[in-house]
Amino acid sequence: MTLTQANEPAPVRLEGVTKRFGGDVVAVDALDLAIEPGSLVTLLGPSGCGKTTTLRMIAGLERASSGRILIDDQDVTRLPANLRDVTMVFQSYALFPHMNVFDNVAYGLRVARVSGADLARRVDEALEMVGMQGLERRSSAELSGGQQQRVALARALVMQPRVLLFDEPLSNLDAKLRRRVRQDIRDLQQRLGITSVYVTHDQEEALAISDVIVVMHQGQVQQTGSPFELYTRPVNRFVADFIGSASFLPGSYDGESVRVADYSFRHPQAVSAGEVSVMVRPEAVRVVLDGDEPDATSDATSDPDVDGAAGGGVADHEAVRSQAERSHESAPKVNGLEATVKSVGYLGLATDVVLETAVGELNASVTGEGRSELARGQEVRVVFRPAGIYLLPAAQGE
Amino acid sequence: MAVRSIIQSRSLATTSSAWIFALSSLVFFLALPFGRPGRAFLTIDPAFRPWNLDGPWLWLVPLMSVVALAAALLPLDSTRRGNILILTGTTGFVAGSGWLIATGVPFGLGAVFTLAALVVVGGYGLSLSGRVQGDPFIASSILFVALLIVLLIIYPLFTVLQTAVVIDGRFTFEKILATISGPRFLFLENPFTERSEFALAMSGIPVGAAAFLAWALFRRAALSRALLMVSGGGVAGLVVGVMLFGRGAIATSLLLAVIAATVSTVLGLAFALLGQRTRIAFVRRSMSAISLLPIITPPFILAFAMIFLLGRRGLLTHDMLGMSNSWIFGLPGVALAQILAFTPIAYLVIQGSVAGLNAALEEASVTLGASRWHTFRTITWPLLRPGLANAFLLSTIESFADFGNPLILGGDRNYLATEVFSAFAARFDPSEAAVYGVVLLIIVLLVFYAQSRWLGQSSFVTVTGKPSLGGFSPLPRALEVTLLVGFVLWAVAVIGLYASIVYGSFVQLWGVNSTLTLRHWRDLSNTGIPVFLYTARIAAISAVPAALLGFLIAYLVVRQNFWGRRFLEFGSMLSFATPGTVMGVAYILAFNTGPWLLTSSAVIIVLAFIFRNMPVAIRGGVAGLAQIDPSLEEASTTLGASTGRTLRLVLIPLLIIPLVAGLIFAFVRAMTAISQVIFVVSPGNMLTTVLLLGWVEQGQIGRAAAMGTLLIMTMLTVILLLMLLTRKRGLGSGEVVP
Repeated sequence: MTLTQANEPAPVRLEGVTKRFGGDVVAVDALDLAIEPGSLVTLLGPSGCGKTTTLRMIAGLERASSGRILIDDQDVTRLPANLRDVTMVFQSYALFPHMNVFDNVAYGLRVARVSGADLARRVDEALEMVGMQGLERRSSAELSGGQQQRVALARALVMQPRVLLFDEPLSNLDAKLRRRVRQDIRDLQQRLGITSVYVTHDQEEALAISDVIVVMHQGQVQQTGSPFELYTRPVNRFVADFIGSASFLPGSYDGESVRVADYSFRHPQAVSAGEVSVMVRPEAVRVVLDGDEPDATSDATSDPDVDGAAGGGVADHEAVRSQAERSHESAPKVNGLEATVKSVGYLGLATDVVLETAVGELNASVTGEGRSELARGQEVRVVFRPAGIYLLPAAQGE
Repeated sequence: MAVRSIIQSRSLATTSSAWIFALSSLVFFLALPFGRPGRAFLTIDPAFRPWNLDGPWLWLVPLMSVVALAAALLPLDSTRRGNILILTGTTGFVAGSGWLIATGVPFGLGAVFTLAALVVVGGYGLSLSGRVQGDPFIASSILFVALLIVLLIIYPLFTVLQTAVVIDGRFTFEKILATISGPRFLFLENPFTERSEFALAMSGIPVGAAAFLAWALFRRAALSRALLMVSGGGVAGLVVGVMLFGRGAIATSLLLAVIAATVSTVLGLAFALLGQRTRIAFVRRSMSAISLLPIITPPFILAFAMIFLLGRRGLLTHDMLGMSNSWIFGLPGVALAQILAFTPIAYLVIQGSVAGLNAALEEASVTLGASRWHTFRTITWPLLRPGLANAFLLSTIESFADFGNPLILGGDRNYLATEVFSAFAARFDPSEAAVYGVVLLIIVLLVFYAQSRWLGQSSFVTVTGKPSLGGFSPLPRALEVTLLVGFVLWAVAVIGLYASIVYGSFVQLWGVNSTLTLRHWRDLSNTGIPVFLYTARIAAISAVPAALLGFLIAYLVVRQNFWGRRFLEFGSMLSFATPGTVMGVAYILAFNTGPWLLTSSAVIIVLAFIFRNMPVAIRGGVAGLAQIDPSLEEASTTLGASTGRTLRLVLIPLLIIPLVAGLIFAFVRAMTAISQVIFVVSPGNMLTTVLLLGWVEQGQIGRAAAMGTLLIMTMLTVILLLMLLTRKRGLGSGEVVP
């Protein structure tokens, strides 16, 4: 038996799960969640949103105040943590400091009364999977952070759990290592097909590894969906803000085109007409330098050549590459939104620009060569690329 | 594959292991006698088998065991099973203990084991029904600890209260009134003096009022405020007057506490300053030895030694100064003995505050233009104040509770702690003893309350005193020299006292015949050594449960969240705060008759030691747990280990040093305790300290000195071994001091 033939992955279901602390503090509020077997679901949100409490309730380390938790269609709401087929990788790794690597990984098997050759073989397999074979006799204090993390993962995997839980497992690693380890975790999870629940407050991490992301805020689920869905079609301003960054401008929608101040552009979206809040991703903003502006007839979104021809006046040369994608969009008769450059921050790959418009502040991420000419106080016009635009009903955009 | 099926079956358990305990309770009930005829604990008397006993409802107990057994074995969902187990466990327990209380039959072995098994059944119920988050081990532990606290701490104290107000089965305040209006309590008119103590005490009123009137006039206070101050001054004057001239137990104890606590605190501060900031490294290093003294010494041993040096035949007073008076027998002597004994305690408490003083703060203040005095007043003093207040209050409590020193050196004065004992043992009046006990308990609890109110958590924090980084700022020369002189005098006095005990054990008769002899040591082998070994055995037996129970309570309080957690904290604090004499009289009153008959046995001594010394282990456990990441336990739990296994495999290995330290401190405290156990010893169950005190009172001082020497040397060896052990494991010795 190898680990790839481990237990069948189990579905996890939470029905109206609520957790109250001390009577009146509601940490998790009537949470419903269905997790497909074998998938990796991330609970994402700011600290205090209830994501860790939810994870700990699935583990059995906290008991739900009300509601039901089902693992493999069995109600485990009141089952003690040590009787659940669930293991967890902790933020602090929680390696037993008085045991070496082998004993740490063997701990759960010994508790389950596995011994002898079987024990050694399974520990070896688990350590091999995480690339830690040969370090069995090391004390856990002699390991680097990344190595400790791997041992903690092996210790959880060796139990062949029905569900594997991760509580911010990468937050104690440095940025570069974090990327590598998160990819390793994702690869292992896919190979073993273990149902996994992953808690993080890092949206980039969540986007990179998840099948499904659950965005939580103040104990409630804001939105559940694939990374792509959440990024392109957030249901409210909180989600839009938390996943990536976005600016919101007030506008109006007539069913076909959107009007922001005196800038109007076509945008097909199933949202009722009237007041809307326009979500603008930074990469959707194209900056047009004012003095070099092409003539009034030009359509900012459909005529990139004009941009390019204007003596480098358009900061966004990268726009050229997405010409085809944008050309289907018909032109509004106004050629952009007037704005003043408030600040410029050069980040290498892109330049962050904060723009002041008549209807609010706008964050832009500008690439291409022309961006070097941007300076504080400069009068510019901006136009939007459709991929990064999404309309929210005005109430949700507040 | 076998493993997988085991792991999978974890969640499919159809029966509960509660059946083991349900069955045990049934077997114990049927196999062992539920009661016993007399004091002998292990008797198995057929007359006390359940079917020979009255009270048909006693049979509710086995009935409940059977129902619980069925509930544990039948396939039920866990909430329902849990509810049934709670119901059966509770009903069985109440029926069993209720039968004991109603009939007054002393509990037998069967009752102990049956009821304990039913408690575990109830614990399973609490866990399965989800009323307590945690497994049956946690739930049962909570129940056990709560029951033990009720039975062995709350109930005895309640009995004291009851004895004070219920006389001959009738509720009355007569005894309280009679006692507090009696001469021993407040006013003791000394017929051999011309003056009237009462008049002198009352004269405090006008003196105090006048003093405050003068103060009010000086401050030009408004009329209403001035009146308030004058009446306040009158009250303060009365209190001081009573303290000075009242001579009764409460007045004396109060005056003694004020003197001893003030001087101990001042000396403690002086030593702490010296220990941190003297230029002489030797003095800095030797200061930590001071902290050992109160641990290794029985509380009254210095008083005993003072008789050698300062008594009627004292080396200093008689031989060297030619005096023949006996000023040490009375308030001055007791105060001196207490100061010598409490200064190390005050030093330990204050040392933390002084070590926390950052020299940079004072330097900053000086560079900002403040004068030295201003700096002291605005920076140093506020930082020191909590430590000083803590030391003062702790010394006050110790002074009130102190029993040995007043007993040996008390002279013609009365003290609250000794009155409890003499009312009980000399005047054979349990009610009067109870009244004194209640008064003493109230005073001490008030001081404790004040301490926790003002100082919050700091009273329970282990005094470690990590020296702050940054500059070493030495004391001003003049101050340093003064403090050094004080320290040297104190050290000479203490060394002299200890040396005199050792020396005293080798001379024929102190002050009369100074020929050297081994007679006292030979005498010791007849009566002394067996008692010493017996005491060591009892202390060792009690140290294990004291340390384990203390750590269990620490674990429950720190790591678990359950209804009644504050009660657990309060209950265990109570056993720590209660003066030993009060707890002693409480144990005698509560366990002398009726269902919980325990007196005249080794069991009651062991129980007294366990619950007296457990709080030290609690504090050690709390401090130890604070250093351990709770994720370690959670990791163990998610890997399938029950709480019991987690404790055994993870927490105990990681906490082994504080656990051993707790064990040793429980042992040492048991060996040197006197105030509580003097009530519960019995012929055949004699303890070293009680025997030693008896010898001192009978004038067998040579033999007493030999015993004292033996005791101190043994304690010193044990503590040094502990320090060696902790140092080897890389823990600072300061961390193990309770």
